[in-house]
Amino acid sequence: MIFTAAASVLAGTVLACLLAILPGLHIYNVMGLAALYLYSLHGSGVASMPEVFVPFMIGLITGWSVINTIPSVLLGAPDESAIFTVLPGQKYLMTGRGYEGTMIIGTGSLAGIFMLVFLIGPFAPKFLPIVRYVLNSHLHWILWVIITFILMTEWPKGGNWGPSGWCKFFAAWSTLGAGLLTFFLSGLLGFLLLYRPPVSIENAFQNIMPAFVGLFAVPWCLLNAVSGAEVPKQIVSDTLNISGDLLLRSSVAGGIGGGFAAFFPVVTGGIGGLLAGHATAQRDERIFMMSQGVSKTVYYTGALLLFFMPGLFITRGGGAWIIKGLYTPHTRGDYYLALGSIALSGAVSFLLLSPLAKWTLMLMKRVDYRHISIFSLGIIISLVFFITGWAGLFVTTVSTGIGLIPVLFGSRRLNCLGVLLLPIACNMSGVGEPVAACLGLL
Amino acid sequence: MKGIAHFISGVAAASFCPWAVEAAQNGNPAFFILGAVAGILPDTIDFKFYRFFYHHEIYIYPDPDKLDPQPVADRIAAAVSEAAATGKPVRVKLSTIKLSADNWRQYRVKIDPEAGEVRVQFGPAVSTGQMPQPGTLPTDRPVAVAKFSAPVKQSYEPVYTVDIFDGPSFMFKRDETGTVEIDFLPWHRNWSHSLTVAALLAGTASLWTWHAGVVVFGAYAIHIFEDQFGCMGANLFFPFTKKRTSGFRLMHSGDAFPNFGCVWLCCLLIFWNIYAAIPEPLYHFGFIRLMMYALVIPFAVFGVVHWLLVRADKGHPETLVTEWNI
Repeated sequence: MIFTAAASVLAGTVLACLLAILPGLHIYNVMGLAALYLYSLHGSGVASMPEVFVPFMIGLITGWSVINTIPSVLLGAPDESAIFTVLPGQKYLMTGRGYEGTMIIGTGSLAGIFMLVFLIGPFAPKFLPIVRYVLNSHLHWILWVIITFILMTEWPKGGNWGPSGWCKFFAAWSTLGAGLLTFFLSGLLGFLLLYRPPVSIENAFQNIMPAFVGLFAVPWCLLNAVSGAEVPKQIVSDTLNISGDLLLRSSVAGGIGGGFAAFFPVVTGGIGGLLAGHATAQRDERIFMMSQGVSKTVYYTGALLLFFMPGLFITRGGGAWIIKGLYTPHTRGDYYLALGSIALSGAVSFLLLSPLAKWTLMLMKRVDYRHISIFSLGIIISLVFFITGWAGLFVTTVSTGIGLIPVLFGSRRLNCLGVLLLPIACNMSGVGEPVAACLGLL
Repeated sequence: MKGIAHFISGVAAASFCPWAVEAAQNGNPAFFILGAVAGILPDTIDFKFYRFFYHHEIYIYPDPDKLDPQPVADRIAAAVSEAAATGKPVRVKLSTIKLSADNWRQYRVKIDPEAGEVRVQFGPAVSTGQMPQPGTLPTDRPVAVAKFSAPVKQSYEPVYTVDIFDGPSFMFKRDETGTVEIDFLPWHRNWSHSLTVAALLAGTASLWTWHAGVVVFGAYAIHIFEDQFGCMGANLFFPFTKKRTSGFRLMHSGDAFPNFGCVWLCCLLIFWNIYAAIPEPLYHFGFIRLMMYALVIPFAVFGVVHWLLVRADKGHPETLVTEWNI
């Protein structure tokens, strides 16, 4: 059984590593397809073994969470005319150090796997049930407070020059206003999707997927496709300019952010990273990059681990929800299987990171990164159509319009998460239905 | 302190109010949201509203193509002399130099009261995270010196670094002894950071319920208290007081450790207050035990590991440091 599980993990990991190179393609979409396939197997009377598909799914999530660094750094060339802010990873790319940036974030991911397996794995089953017990009836206001933080802490990027007055004020508030607009429009979209789901009942578990694709993936691919920036010659360095202390501080910052996001419902890795970045006040770009690597791995993989954790068994993150439809864990054996799968998949995917990054750099020499983005966009759109049909495509189109607002105005893209945060916070506080009624959705 | 520390302090202040926890248990998040908003509100007023309308007599825009520090030094020194001569306040704004989407040219200004001079020097390009970028330090970095002819009193620190987003501003004002006082960021931590404004806002919130008033006052006041740990202080009783009361000078607002320590401590206090409000809890633990497990031990472990790693790296962790001659 162990060998079967290990083989499944490896299969999932390798598949995820290859898919992760495509920009904008989310592993939950692939898992959704896999779930549909398994449902069809069940429907035709063929039983699928949990010790095969559960490790496979864990391999998919863990591998993707490590390797998706490659497109985020190497396939996201920023154009000065199109965007206002540049992420440190992209800056590494534009100075010919894309490989180094990728590996720095990857090192963070490895540290995240280490934390999950050796710190969170053994200790969390003892402490997290207590935390959950105490906070259980308070999750709604925590979510509202997070929303308040997101809305109140966006820094005005304009209005830095010129004489004081309304011109300066409006220049500053153009980005802030765009952020608020994005949040409320996405929130409105979220209400619409929750109360009038356009996706058929059979694919209800992918209800939010077209919106997410439109809000995040399509603007990214479109931005790449129209970018006028030329990627400079890339250098593959032998060493990473990091020290043990930098790694420690990144692990603390990213671990807290990712762990927070994994534990609290609806809070995503991006929000966790934002909170941890603010809380730990780390300015060094290497720390920022590594902590993002830690955060995303702890978030994606940790959320899944909570589903298997004795005393908790809570469903957090899309991956756990997809697996929940197929299998419910009960025993410590399930937990150790999950931990072992994460360890194996994390180690293998980190080992694959360097060759895949080099391969992507080689690919970029032959194929324009804009064409890779357009190809990826085609795959994503096809997936949306395949799973959710014309209605899903329509949702994707509308949400792309919303997702482009922060890109064009230079505000936080995190505001797009209003699609989840606003309706769910309203529902958790018991005001969801009255608000939906006001909007004419009931 | 950074925004998140004030924000979470406001939430922690709300959690000390039993009615806030009780309302939250019944599905009403209003008191916690109020606490959070009031906790960060003083800085929101300053940075998102007031500063855009604050008038300056002199705006200094260094030429990004010709990095000559002398005009900058001359204009600051002239502003000091003008304030001394006329007795009218002179407000000066130093502008930042944006090089590209994420790069800014850094420069430093020192107003030295003892030498009676302003010194200015340009430095490297820095990222928006204020980290120097390799290979961007100008080869020729002269230090410009300009003399002023008046006694000067610093209320903040003598060296000012200008780099990202909005540059710093000063108000030079002659006092009754003829000394020119330098008021750093005169629009910040002034009327917005006063207990009287806190009371006013609390009174407004009390129109809804006095419970809200207490939460708003507590959260707003804790912000002002936390700011006192820095250098700048706050104008505590505006309009009865006209100047900022100097801070305790124990930290800088951007310091990582005090900020994170504050955020983490607040999280634990919130957790404890929520736990204490559970009538018959399933799990039993005391305050000391919580602090030991969640604060003392983790911080001690982090401190030891950090010390060992820095030692293993033979000194401080590697970062690019700029040498300044001012």
